[in-house]
Amino acid sequence: MEYKVEAHRIMSISLGKIYNSRVQRGGIKLHKNLLVSLVLRSARQVYLSDYYSGACLNAQGEREGNEWEIVNSEREKFPPSVTDHESPEEPQNEKERQSLEKEAESEANRVDCSSTSEEKHYQDAVLPETLQEATNEPKESPSESTQAELDAVTGDSQPPPKTHVCSNRKRSAEDSESGNSPQKRTKIASASPKDDGEGEEMDTSNVSNLITIFGSSFSGLLSKDGAKPEAEEEDSGQICCDQMLKNLNPWSTAIVAF
Amino acid sequence: MDGHGDAAQSRWCLSQVKGAVDDDVAEADIISAVEFNHSGELLATGDRGGRIVIFQQEPENKSPPVCRAEYSVYSTFQSHEPEFDYLKSLEIEEKINKIRWLPQKNAAHFLLSTNDKTIKLWKISERDKRPEGYNLKEEDGRFRHPSSLTSLRPMDLMVEASPRRVYANAHTYHINSISVNSDNETYLSADDLRVNLWHLDYTDRSFSILSSNAASYCGPHIVDIKPTNMEELTEVITASEFHPLQCNTFVYGSSKGSVRLCDMRASALCDQHSKHVKFSHSGRYMMTRDYLTLKIWDLHMESQPVETFQNDCIFDKFECCWKGDDSEVMSGSYNNFFRLFEREGQQDVTLEASWESGSPGCPLKPWRVSTGSRRKRNEIGVDCLDFSRKVLYTSWHPQENILALATVNNLYIFQEKLDEF
Repeated sequence: MEYKVEAHRIMSISLGKIYNSRVQRGGIKLHKNLLVSLVLRSARQVYLSDYYSGACLNAQGEREGNEWEIVNSEREKFPPSVTDHESPEEPQNEKERQSLEKEAESEANRVDCSSTSEEKHYQDAVLPETLQEATNEPKESPSESTQAELDAVTGDSQPPPKTHVCSNRKRSAEDSESGNSPQKRTKIASASPKDDGEGEEMDTSNVSNLITIFGSSFSGLLSKDGAKPEAEEEDSGQICCDQMLKNLNPWSTAIVAF
Repeated sequence: MDGHGDAAQSRWCLSQVKGAVDDDVAEADIISAVEFNHSGELLATGDRGGRIVIFQQEPENKSPPVCRAEYSVYSTFQSHEPEFDYLKSLEIEEKINKIRWLPQKNAAHFLLSTNDKTIKLWKISERDKRPEGYNLKEEDGRFRHPSSLTSLRPMDLMVEASPRRVYANAHTYHINSISVNSDNETYLSADDLRVNLWHLDYTDRSFSILSSNAASYCGPHIVDIKPTNMEELTEVITASEFHPLQCNTFVYGSSKGSVRLCDMRASALCDQHSKHVKFSHSGRYMMTRDYLTLKIWDLHMESQPVETFQNDCIFDKFECCWKGDDSEVMSGSYNNFFRLFEREGQQDVTLEASWESGSPGCPLKPWRVSTGSRRKRNEIGVDCLDFSRKVLYTSWHPQENILALATVNNLYIFQEKLDEF
């Protein structure tokens, strides 16, 4: 279990670094956040691996199940023109506006690339919901109604539809204890880095919540070509604690220094 | 290191240390860029406070065995100031990310300096005479003799730095590289997702190359890897450099581990693996530094590197540099170590940049990083490495064996002693 503690520590440090990078001078450093998010994701996989004891850790499946949550968390973290997570939905220039308009489509595409019928059901459920909520919005212009869609999905302004809860529960077993809706959890958890002050010492429950948020960050990071500790993915399910610990050790020192 | 039996000393010795040596370091004094000019006579450093300090090599003691690595302050000026982007509510740091010298064409020196968003062209010129005699009257009211009017009188040497161009508003992301083209008319600037091509004379536009491969060269950038959906971002540009001789060739490295060699004429691309890229002086070889290794690539051989050296730095972006004759390369490391790799003999040596470890002129003792539990002298365990002390910025004198590298706020100048054999 020592590796779990280590993975937890790495995740806490990574989250702290991501949070700090958002408040530091000069704005978000894209490269640094990319690297830290990779570490965070890898540490998360290690941390969660014991929930699937004996079974193959299907990192792919986890990612896709949590994809709907990435919109809020990722836009908070990585749009270069944004400093705080209160206003990720306000694009700063024309290019950002266009990419946000395409986000709704690409969301659907991402959900598309999952292979299970469950997720297809989810996809069918999500889109009508978001479009419905969008049409109910008083705003009229195309970009603003897209905003409303995104708002609906990310839960900044709307309560979650039920189907979201079901799908998310199915896919992320680790959240079964917290019976709240995923979007509310998103809200709470994303507020916690701020509320915690420096975001350095995080207790386990916060980290579990944050795990789901960052769980599937970047569909593009789906590693086809070598993200870092891959030993656990290549295993057929027999995860050796020592090996994982050995994998983690260089990361813990390096992430602290970064 | 030299293989002649006694490995207790390296050929290198500390020459000078610049900067305060107390533990309390102001953030603004932290060095963030180091660069020799093309002759090696001038050494420029940039810091987080946006200042540039230029050191000049002492002209005395020209004979080789005597230590020539004496540098003294030549000019200091404020290059960049902190700015605020009101549209994005972002503060723009004044920290100098890169300095690149232009080849010298006349008496003045020119350099490009950049922070995260803005590149500036600075002219550094000397003035040792000043015109006198504009007034027709002396101070006491008497008229001056006509022959004394408007003449040049010698004065104390003054070095002036004046900004000649400001290239702004072309980068949405943080600038990480600038590189002057061999044509001396253009240069490139790279941020996390784009590479721009500039003409030195024009500040209001950057140039694009129209080619058949429109996907790579489109819009105002010569390289644009920004995905349509930012959430699909997987890699960023980490470094970019022009080929030192071929003005149409440049290279850029990505964080994912690829180097793309680009020909602006024909948009030819090829893939290798790297994180940081530096062309050799001859232009034949390319050095790339990724997380764990330093590789030398022969540009004619695409399949694999010619030489590979192991290193152990994972996250930080350590600069690497070539010796003037391309026979050795150097890179910084943690614990204020720096490593020199000799290509011919495939040997390397690890040295420490520390003002405690020896007096100037004294040869440095090489270090070894060990994984075992036993410690010999000048050995340090890999777990004991101080990750907060890093040598990120380095530069090698283009003609002599003089190294300049920066620890947190100190500039170290090392010289190789040739008469130690």
